[in-house]
Amino acid sequence: MASTGLNSSVGPEPASADGPVVAGLLCYQDADTVGAVVAAVREGLAVHFADVTTQIVLVDAGSTDATEARAREALGDAGEILDIAAARSTADFLDLPYHGIPGKARAVRAILTAASERRAQACVILDAGVRTVTPDWVGWLARPVVERAFDFVSPFYQRHAFEGALTKGVVYPVVRALYGVRLRQPAAAEFACSGRLVDHVLQEDVWERSGSQLGIDIWLTTAAASGDFRLSEAALGIRAHGVRGEEALDLGTTIVQVVGSLFTDLERRAARWQRSRGLIPVEPPGAPSAAAPVAPNVDVERLIEACRLGYRELRDIWTWVLPPRTIVDLKKLLDRPVAEFRLDDELWARIVYDFAIGCRLRVAAREHLLRSLVPLYSGWLASYVLQVRDVSPEAADLRVETLAEAFDAQKSYLIARWRWPERLRTE
Amino acid sequence: MAEQFNRALTLAGTRIVDSVASFLPGALVFLGILLGAFVVALVIRSALRRGLKGLDFDRRVEGLGFSPAEWTPSGSASVLVASVAYWTVLVLGLLLGLTALDAALPTQFAVSVLQYLPHLVAALAILVIGGIVARFLARAMLIGAVNMGVQSARLLSVGVKWLVLIVAAAMALDHIGIGRTVLLLAFGITFGGVVFAVALAVGLGARDVVGRAFERQLREPAGDDKLDHV
Repeated sequence: MASTGLNSSVGPEPASADGPVVAGLLCYQDADTVGAVVAAVREGLAVHFADVTTQIVLVDAGSTDATEARAREALGDAGEILDIAAARSTADFLDLPYHGIPGKARAVRAILTAASERRAQACVILDAGVRTVTPDWVGWLARPVVERAFDFVSPFYQRHAFEGALTKGVVYPVVRALYGVRLRQPAAAEFACSGRLVDHVLQEDVWERSGSQLGIDIWLTTAAASGDFRLSEAALGIRAHGVRGEEALDLGTTIVQVVGSLFTDLERRAARWQRSRGLIPVEPPGAPSAAAPVAPNVDVERLIEACRLGYRELRDIWTWVLPPRTIVDLKKLLDRPVAEFRLDDELWARIVYDFAIGCRLRVAAREHLLRSLVPLYSGWLASYVLQVRDVSPEAADLRVETLAEAFDAQKSYLIARWRWPERLRTE
Repeated sequence: MAEQFNRALTLAGTRIVDSVASFLPGALVFLGILLGAFVVALVIRSALRRGLKGLDFDRRVEGLGFSPAEWTPSGSASVLVASVAYWTVLVLGLLLGLTALDAALPTQFAVSVLQYLPHLVAALAILVIGGIVARFLARAMLIGAVNMGVQSARLLSVGVKWLVLIVAAAMALDHIGIGRTVLLLAFGITFGGVVFAVALAVGLGARDVVGRAFERQLREPAGDDKLDHV
């Protein structure tokens, strides 16, 4: 099903229907996995696109290990490697990104530019650090573009209900409510796009924006969602990432990067999402992998305690963005015992929207504001875990859909406050 | 005798008239400068109020962590800035006017104050910047400590705020040369004392607590710490 957004752009040299399929690989310190990923991509291109010209574009973001050598070794003399060295800037060293690839926007841009120059009919981008890439991933992502004229294919990974909670609780519902597209993993690293979309995003201003190295995954998804493009999802099964030798980011930094990028994009596309109405169906993914993801251990009481501590100490900061009614509702919630701890979906939606408005109005330093969201997110996560820990994966997915519907319902609240922010503190 | 009395009276009268004649223009200039300063101060106050209101200064200042209610009854940062500018212009006008009077003592006072003014302004700037930095760091500390689950986050935050404020105040006082030696000594003793006390507390009294805290930091993260949130 096609999205019916308003933006549409065609590059100076439109992609041809018989152009090549370009597979772009993003590498950074992936010596352990890059060989297997290159082999899988080669096989995938050979199996799924035997009658089409294919090319592999490898972009290394400044690895200091044997990543590039192993990639070349895996490719041998078959196919073609376009090796682009994406230089790292000073900012890349300061901001360790949640996706693990410093200077990712430059790397993605290099791949898309290469695809555009070759007038590719489809471009599929994969992270060379993923251990679970199979040849089918290339087909599942790129075939809808080549055979069914979709413009953007977003992955859908099979994950445990607790995993990806920030995506399920904030990113997906916000993107869905604002742009009306049901792409459940808008911040995913892997995707496929048509030549038309490649040309469109290369003309967008996302590449030079502040924060692009962190937010490029989300921004590309919203660029596709807000344009006149056909969108689809592809089930890829389980996504497991290799170790890049860098420590995982703390939750606060992850929220600053992911939610901050989302809010930045919200400001840029305000005129677009305020006009968007209803939900545009997105082609659902095929059957997911049969293997069940491992359940992570989550300490619900610790999360609730973190939320209570946040309420006690950060309430003053929250009052800059949250209306008094919300603070009262939070107080009632935190007075409840653990077994009855349930954060209402619409209350959570309003909290997220209020923080988006707070960031827009610069009521405090942006990073402070976003970091102060951590205890509230902990509270929501605790409530969510309590609700889905004893249910089937399908029921957990339905729970996320119910939450997304609450975000849809509260969109009018966001629009009203966005347009008349002076009401922010008075209601 | 009468002639001498008349001459003395005339001389006295002439002296008074001369004094008044020499003082009057200065006084008139003094009044003129004062009136001019008053008008300029009013204009500046009004312009600042309007300009800052247009720039949404109050909200931006609150965003930086200042709560103007602590500084001014009006509760408005733009009113506070406008009032400070108003009184500064008035005082400057007064000092300039005093030099016009050509009186030795007031003139010396005015000149010395005017010479001192840049130091005062610099000290004030140090205090203001110190206040902004203190509040910013205090808030960052509060949020960071809460996110780390530190129960005494508020205490840490207040500690950071006052530490930065005290450093800023010491720098400002040092800049204007008030109690330089005493200040240096007092600050050194206080700061060194605090560090020494903390070191003793950590080394002796709270050794186990600190050990456990480090252990918590180094141990495997809890289950939800390992969650992939994205």
